[in-house]
Amino acid sequence: MDELRNYARELLEKEEVAAVIGYQQVTEKRTKPIVITDPAETSRLVFNEYCLNNLAVYLTKARIRSLMRTKDKTMKLAIVAKPCDVHSIVALIQENQIHRNDVHIISFNCHGVVKDFGCDFNGDNLAAKCIKCETHKPLYFDKIFGEEKQTPKAGDASLEKINELEKLNSKERFEFFKSEFDKCIKCYACRAVCPLCYCQRCITDKAIPRWIESSSHQRGNFSWNIVRAFHLSGRCTGCGECDRACPMDIPLSLINRRMAMEVKDLFSFVSGRSLETPTLVGNFDKKDSDEIFM
Amino acid sequence: MSFKMEEKIISKDDLLKLCGDVIAKGHTLLAPGIAEYEQVKDVSQIRLDSSALPTKTSYKSYVFPKAEPILYYKRSKSDVQLIDVDVNGKKIVVLGAKPCDTNSINILKHLFNWDYEDEFFNLRQKHFVIIGLMCSSFDEYCFCTSVGSSPVSEEGSDLFLIPINEDKFALRIITEKGKEFIEPYSEFLKDGDEAKSNAVLESIKKPEVAFDSKQVHEWLGDNFENPKWEGIGNVCLSCAQCAFVCPVCHCFDLVDEDYSYSEGRRMKNWDGCQFGHFTLHASGHNPRDIQSKRYRQRVNHKFRYYVDKFGEILCTGCGRCSRGCPVSIDIKEIVSNCKD
Amino acid sequence: MPHLAEIREIIDESPDTRTFRLMFKDAGTAESFDFKAGQFAEYSAFGDGESTFCIASSPTRKDLIECSFKVYGKVTQSLQRLNVGDTIGIRGPYGNWFPLDELKGKNLLFIAGGIGLAPVRCVIENVLDKREDYKNVSIVYGARSVSDLIYKQEIREWKSRTDVSVIVTVDPGGETPGWDGEVGFVPAVIEKSAPTSENTAVILCGPPVMIKFTMPVLTNLGFKDEDVYTTLENRMKCGLGKCGRCNIGNVYVCKDGPVFTYAQIKKLPQEF
Repeated sequence: MDELRNYARELLEKEEVAAVIGYQQVTEKRTKPIVITDPAETSRLVFNEYCLNNLAVYLTKARIRSLMRTKDKTMKLAIVAKPCDVHSIVALIQENQIHRNDVHIISFNCHGVVKDFGCDFNGDNLAAKCIKCETHKPLYFDKIFGEEKQTPKAGDASLEKINELEKLNSKERFEFFKSEFDKCIKCYACRAVCPLCYCQRCITDKAIPRWIESSSHQRGNFSWNIVRAFHLSGRCTGCGECDRACPMDIPLSLINRRMAMEVKDLFSFVSGRSLETPTLVGNFDKKDSDEIFM
Repeated sequence: MSFKMEEKIISKDDLLKLCGDVIAKGHTLLAPGIAEYEQVKDVSQIRLDSSALPTKTSYKSYVFPKAEPILYYKRSKSDVQLIDVDVNGKKIVVLGAKPCDTNSINILKHLFNWDYEDEFFNLRQKHFVIIGLMCSSFDEYCFCTSVGSSPVSEEGSDLFLIPINEDKFALRIITEKGKEFIEPYSEFLKDGDEAKSNAVLESIKKPEVAFDSKQVHEWLGDNFENPKWEGIGNVCLSCAQCAFVCPVCHCFDLVDEDYSYSEGRRMKNWDGCQFGHFTLHASGHNPRDIQSKRYRQRVNHKFRYYVDKFGEILCTGCGRCSRGCPVSIDIKEIVSNCKD
Repeated sequence: MPHLAEIREIIDESPDTRTFRLMFKDAGTAESFDFKAGQFAEYSAFGDGESTFCIASSPTRKDLIECSFKVYGKVTQSLQRLNVGDTIGIRGPYGNWFPLDELKGKNLLFIAGGIGLAPVRCVIENVLDKREDYKNVSIVYGARSVSDLIYKQEIREWKSRTDVSVIVTVDPGGETPGWDGEVGFVPAVIEKSAPTSENTAVILCGPPVMIKFTMPVLTNLGFKDEDVYTTLENRMKCGLGKCGRCNIGNVYVCKDGPVFTYAQIKKLPQEF
């Protein structure tokens, strides 16, 4: 922990970065995001199994980016990122939302985080994304801390659920999602926490014309959740923040994960894994499968 | 004239029988489930656990739905026809409501009835019977005692339950509405001992008072411009989770929705003050253009403006907004820091 | 429930501003609809929603209700597509008004910019219909260009009266050949004309930037903040003090406003 704090303090003191986006401890089993500009505050930084948030979401926020520019120079933003959060950063770079040179990635060898604050860290309480995780070491980083440790073993309940839904007929599946989407209250927490939902103005907020009804009734909820699923296909990196943020416990990442599986099958593309490959939607190939057209 | 409280005893079995009858009569019976107040279809669902934490959402949506039509219109050539909405005034019984929820309707009543009376809200709340249940546990986000309430507050309940032992509850009849509701079930009731149930209430551990709401009120008045707001604005992601799970947040939007070429309806939908477009003018001007201003509005509305206007804090201390915040912004902590 | 009204006449005031002259469909409503100068209403274009504008006609001329709007957003675009004979909805009147009774016996100085003339026009006509109650009446109106000036017909009428002084100005560059009015920004024009502040109330409406630069000029001329009346325009939905978006501090603009004195505005949280 001290290594991290000292490193972050030095970055700020040497004015290599304008701010450090990291985690601070709130209670024993809860952390929260903190944006540090004052080197003295780096003593609050932590990294542990309770660092659930995907902080990449802050990299595109105008108010955070405004910290980068002072009168006479432009500085980077340092971000504390789990290896899976690095995927989101990579996806943002691929999509030209940020530049690689604008971020200073401080990452860790990660052995998983808990599914929710307040839980003990063990196989039963492992976050869904950690169960299927294949990247315990970050793919890209500017500084890495921590030793490699074994991730607790756990069953992949979300994959089981996807398989179970696959077995249903389309009507039954529709009923399942209908009952889930009925709960939606349109607080847009799923959108707010998603690093890839970076649009300055979301299609749901556009009123002329009104593409998506703002009411949280069945039709409005379906339009929003389907649009969300499509807009994130080939872009979602599977961080699962939407699941965690949803106050109504709608299993949103089931949809995103299923779409990611589709994208992988059809185009052999996984979002946020390589800075060299172009984005999925930005790269048309004549050999691409036609199966996406219904 | 205020109603004189009556103290009774009811066994758990009889209480469940009563609930069974409420369902049989076709009324809606709500009880705290895991995430929300769920509609009880079968009495075996009922838990009546005074030690459960508040559900993720309150029963606000039953008085103030997340999306409701307020009028229908039909267009033909150049004419328009308006059709009134028939508000479903079905009786709703809330069983085991948390004391941090029971007062919510009373707090909201002021807003929905000053000047113009909101008939949608009023009709619904008239048909509400609230059976409160003493609360025997709290977590780090609870702060009912800081906003003038407590885990044993009967405020807002029509009937109030206090668990005496495994299978008996003291039942207090708090309002005329409660008395009317319980009258048909008087065979289930025995006379109670107020001293005995008071002893239970006194034995309950309560959250420590985290802040003095009067001081907060004063601080907010002096600190409209304060760098503290900026710090929060940097972290908050501008969703409306906090507003929508709040039992007393009440801002709404009015939108028209066509469902065919000539027909449509006007909807009253929940809206949240943390959304950037909430105050965005058509001209592009936005009085609360950045997140720090929006968060400042949220705190000020709850702890200053509403107090000035209606004499009550727009907060029940349930802690839902903090428990559910994706970036762990804790309103108790923020308000406790509303001092120099 | 909104009242239904028929569009009787449409006047194109400027390239982007329109006036509707409206007649309530229900005779009873037409009779009972009572309002005061400065109040506003919610106008519906069914299918696209409601929008908030002041009632631009004077309560002393009740035959037809008028409203003027600049085409900006969803609802105003929708209203713009309507024709004579079409139906719109009106809810109101809402909000407070200019205290014309208290201003009796005073000189009145009206200052308006752009579409800010709409709420001011309502007061001007109200005053002109009871001209004997007030002393000197002067009007200073400015817009970006000649074509942006609204109520050209009304202005001509005011100019033709001997008991009203009217100055119309356009921003530098906005004049056309043959323009016989002033050229210059409103604050500069006021400074030049130097109206007396003695026993004078000001009614000031216009874009925020105009108000910002006009106030110091008025202060220099000796006007007191409590003698300057203006309106605040915030985004509104319900007009009933409920929906929560127009409030500035504990003031609901839709209930406690839209008319405020500059002294009152200074006391509000600076967030509008």
